[in-house]
Amino acid sequence: MLSCQEVATRASALIDGELSTWEGLQMRLHLAMCKGCERFIGQVRTTRDLTENLTAADTHEEADDGRISEILSKLHEEKKQGG
Amino acid sequence: MSTARAEETTLVQLLAAGERTAFEQVYRKHNSSLIRVAVGIVRSRATAEEVAQETWIAVLKNICGFEGRSSLASWIFSILINKARSRAKRDGRMVSFDGTGEDDNLAAAFDGRGRWKDIPELWEVLTPERILEGRSVMDHVNTAIEALPPGQRSVIILRAQQGLGAEEVCAILGISEGNMRVLLHRARLGVRAALDGLM
Ligand SMILES: [Zn+2]
Repeated sequence: MLSCQEVATRASALIDGELSTWEGLQMRLHLAMCKGCERFIGQVRTTRDLTENLTAADTHEEADDGRISEILSKLHEEKKQGG
Repeated sequence: MSTARAEETTLVQLLAAGERTAFEQVYRKHNSSLIRVAVGIVRSRATAEEVAQETWIAVLKNICGFEGRSSLASWIFSILINKARSRAKRDGRMVSFDGTGEDDNLAAAFDGRGRWKDIPELWEVLTPERILEGRSVMDHVNTAIEALPPGQRSVIILRAQQGLGAEEVCAILGISEGNMRVLLHRARLGVRAALDGLM
């Protein structure tokens, strides 16, 4: 039987679906009997969801326009100098 | 060719043609992540912004040579990492991403037999919009990511937030896939601990 510490170490592998059938079975067996680990896996899953897929949230800062212009003019300068 | 791939090819052509709107699109998508990854390496926001700017100039200068062997995002981040690393080196620091010597900060939660000393809390519903201690959950998440060591921080931004493929992330950071999984797991545990402290 896995210890709680071993379950915690494998938490990401479990929720990312990277465990072998046997390892997955051992985890489920432990989780069925251990409220602490069940809660912990829930916390890691929530954390994963909150840290994923923020790509849709592109940033729109007011200063962007100025920064973009600065990059383009620096590029232009460097090209002129043959850099 | 997949739609995403075809769209990217078009985007690269527009960038090469000097279309400002195409550049704006790519800039808005990646600039804040570029800075956040760079801060972890150069340790200063101002320097990270400079490195990001140098990266964009290099991207536009060399876009004609981009052959699409990796994704555009992956190519841009590789340029950033190289620039940030050489900046750190100039300051006398070597930055590695393999996370040697870091642990998952969880060992203290267990007794000698690997059992929880205190049973983890059952978190109430956490949504990105939820306010905790006067700030949105996402603000806390981003602050927690910024406190992570460079390897964990880079992996969670590139892999999770920017959605780059596992192979691409490993190539950019020069780490193995097993190493990347460990770093991602530790990064999540770091963010989890920060959120748990607020609940
Ligand atoms: Zn347990």
